[in-house]
Amino acid sequence: MVQIPVQTLHRDPQLFYWILIPITVVMVLTGVLRHYASVLMATAPKKQDVKAMREQRFLGRGVTLRTNHHVLSQKAFDVRRETLTAGYESGAYLKEPEKKGQPPANPLSDPSAMDGMMGMMKNNMAMIIPNTLIMSWINAFFSGYVIMKLPFPITIKFKSMLQAGVQTKDMDPRWMSSISWYFLCIFGLQFVYVFLLGSDNAASQVAQQMQQQQMPNPMGGPGQDPDKQFKAEAENLAVVEHYSVLDDVEERLLAGIKS
Amino acid sequence: MPSEREFQIHPIVQESVVHNSKALSNLQSLTASLFGISVGILGLESYSGFLVYFVFSFITTLLFYVLKVAPESLSEGRPPLDPTRFYRGVFEFWLSGAFSGISGFILTWTLFYGLVRV
Repeated sequence: MVQIPVQTLHRDPQLFYWILIPITVVMVLTGVLRHYASVLMATAPKKQDVKAMREQRFLGRGVTLRTNHHVLSQKAFDVRRETLTAGYESGAYLKEPEKKGQPPANPLSDPSAMDGMMGMMKNNMAMIIPNTLIMSWINAFFSGYVIMKLPFPITIKFKSMLQAGVQTKDMDPRWMSSISWYFLCIFGLQFVYVFLLGSDNAASQVAQQMQQQQMPNPMGGPGQDPDKQFKAEAENLAVVEHYSVLDDVEERLLAGIKS
Repeated sequence: MPSEREFQIHPIVQESVVHNSKALSNLQSLTASLFGISVGILGLESYSGFLVYFVFSFITTLLFYVLKVAPESLSEGRPPLDPTRFYRGVFEFWLSGAFSGISGFILTWTLFYGLVRV
């Protein structure tokens, strides 16, 4: 086995002061800025009129009754189910009962739907704009420097990514340029934000992206016919097989006492 | 359906689960960065560095278990090393921390290795 000699490279210590520290500081500050931007841009939920609120709440009530039916007694559950189902079927809870059966309005023309989309766009913008700016800033000022060495070996495939702008064929892929330090900062600065902003921060974009993927469509998304939702909920309620957690509770209590 | 009814008889509060796992993951990400600093200063490379990281993050979880989880869970009659009093999954408790903190570890490891050694 041939021992590959370790490459050594003499670098100006000024590289640390003028490249590494600026990039790190900028990354941390961008995270802090993003956190406060998202705090400031978070719009308070808009006030809805009574009818629209009632429509939403009654739909929510149906869902809650269906998921928590086990805490009610048989009689209480039956009464609630009958009332809700009757209301759903007759359309008494609808915002505009006379419009029942008509196709839903175009979501683009509905101002309340626009609001939700604007919020999503703002979020995306808060992620995209700083990223593009910093990437181009680093590319403009700091490309072509080798600043660091990774402490673990990686394969040659990473060379083009880590040493972008440094065209040296035989250089060990462990040497990395400023752009790869930027990537490391994107993924690894979470602990700094936890220190600075507490654990509920909105600074890390990696965590934010994961959150966005997990989030399902917000309740009663735009463009859905509330009448159809009510009908579906009535059907769901009809098929619930009710039982109570208090069934056989005395036997469980006795068993607990005896042992 | 016995399992669903069990959950309904002994309900689990989602907020508490989130709070518990957040406490653990914050601890892990902070300690991971400190391990990165120490490994970087020691100048460990490749496998030995990762090995030290995994060993120490396991020790962190173990200390967390012994100091925080064990007093209440053992007195409830649960077997040792079983975190289900406060956490949903056993594997989640013992293993997830090491992987969530690894990016911060690599960052500080590289930084201090670069500052001190090269």
